[in-house]
Amino acid sequence: MKPGMLGMIAGVLLAGAVQAAGFEARPATPAPDLLAQDLAGATKTLADYRGKVVLLNFWASWCPPCLREMPSMERLRVKMTGRPLAVVALDSAETRAEVDAFLAKMQVGFPILLDPDGSNTKRWKVFALPTTFLLDASGRIRYVLTGPTEWDEGEALTKIEALLAEAAAAQAR
Amino acid sequence: MNMKRLERFLAALLFALGAGAAHAGLPEHRVFAAEGERLLLWVSAARGRTEPELHAAGQLAARGVETWSVDLVSAYFLPQLPRSMDAVPTPDMVDWLRAALARDKQVVVYAINRAAVPVLRAAAALDPAERARLCVMLAYPNLYTVAEPLAEPEYLNFGSLTGLRVRVLQPRRSAATPWLPGLLDSLAAQGVAVRHVILENLREGWWMRETPTEFEMAESRRMHELLLRELDEWGCQ
Repeated sequence: MKPGMLGMIAGVLLAGAVQAAGFEARPATPAPDLLAQDLAGATKTLADYRGKVVLLNFWASWCPPCLREMPSMERLRVKMTGRPLAVVALDSAETRAEVDAFLAKMQVGFPILLDPDGSNTKRWKVFALPTTFLLDASGRIRYVLTGPTEWDEGEALTKIEALLAEAAAAQAR
Repeated sequence: MNMKRLERFLAALLFALGAGAAHAGLPEHRVFAAEGERLLLWVSAARGRTEPELHAAGQLAARGVETWSVDLVSAYFLPQLPRSMDAVPTPDMVDWLRAALARDKQVVVYAINRAAVPVLRAAAALDPAERARLCVMLAYPNLYTVAEPLAEPEYLNFGSLTGLRVRVLQPRRSAATPWLPGLLDSLAAQGVAVRHVILENLREGWWMRETPTEFEMAESRRMHELLLRELDEWGCQ
């Protein structure tokens, strides 16, 4: 077997291990500021979602893994109708025209925020796309995921349900 | 001899026995000879050397730019991961650069993504006079030591790179684009005379994408033109 082939096999095995890292729990970290416009031109901040669990997803239209996970985000939004969860997708460092071109092909019901100058991307220290933050109902970061997932099932759904249960318990007290 | 040294020795031996080892002690590379006054050292990314890169190297040679193409993950029997580039022996890279400089041509290194790391380490190990003769083009260089969500980025420190001329080629459609100013600052702080260009409508590794756009496919076919244009506009010739 050629050395290059052995290297490739080792690479594939190691790459799999990296992908398996999954959600990274954070000790209730305060979130950076979010200041972005939605598609209607309204300015949005995290205060707009206070009292809700927030799934804040950083994406771009040129990023295939971002687009792969979006249908599951939409299914999650529909599944969670009436429950205190906000699914928010912030487009990283693209023009409005690029976002519009993408949304003409894939319609989603969750809000899209714009970050044309990348300022939110830099404040949240996002170095890879997609990167998603799960915030609790108090606006604190509880989980970070770098890379895509199926948001309406498995570990992602379990973590979101746990944060929702936590919020419900706090409200009941 | 410890296991790592033994593995490296065996890997080097295998390549030396294989076809066309260019020079003992230097990383295995393919030579696209040309009579022109420029010599381009093409250092592929951790995914290895691709067919479009070989095509571009051939086209560059046909236009008078001698090109040496190296695939470091294969040459050093490393996993195809960006961090593998950090394991490339600096002395070998220094020898390679010196072998190129000895050709009495204008030497330009073109390194992709994390392949920038062994190149800059070697450049830092050169004598200042040697370094001043070298030009480096870095395609979306990954020079992070830390790039974690919510944490400030940290960049590798190579020591003194004073006198080195670097041009960064940054595809617009990259998560690294918003971070480009910090990367440029880091290089400048190490003495690099750094310039950059944004490559519009391209993603990182546009020539090896699974689902390339029409534009990316066209740019892959004419990658040699992009490099020639950058070399000429930059003036490092």
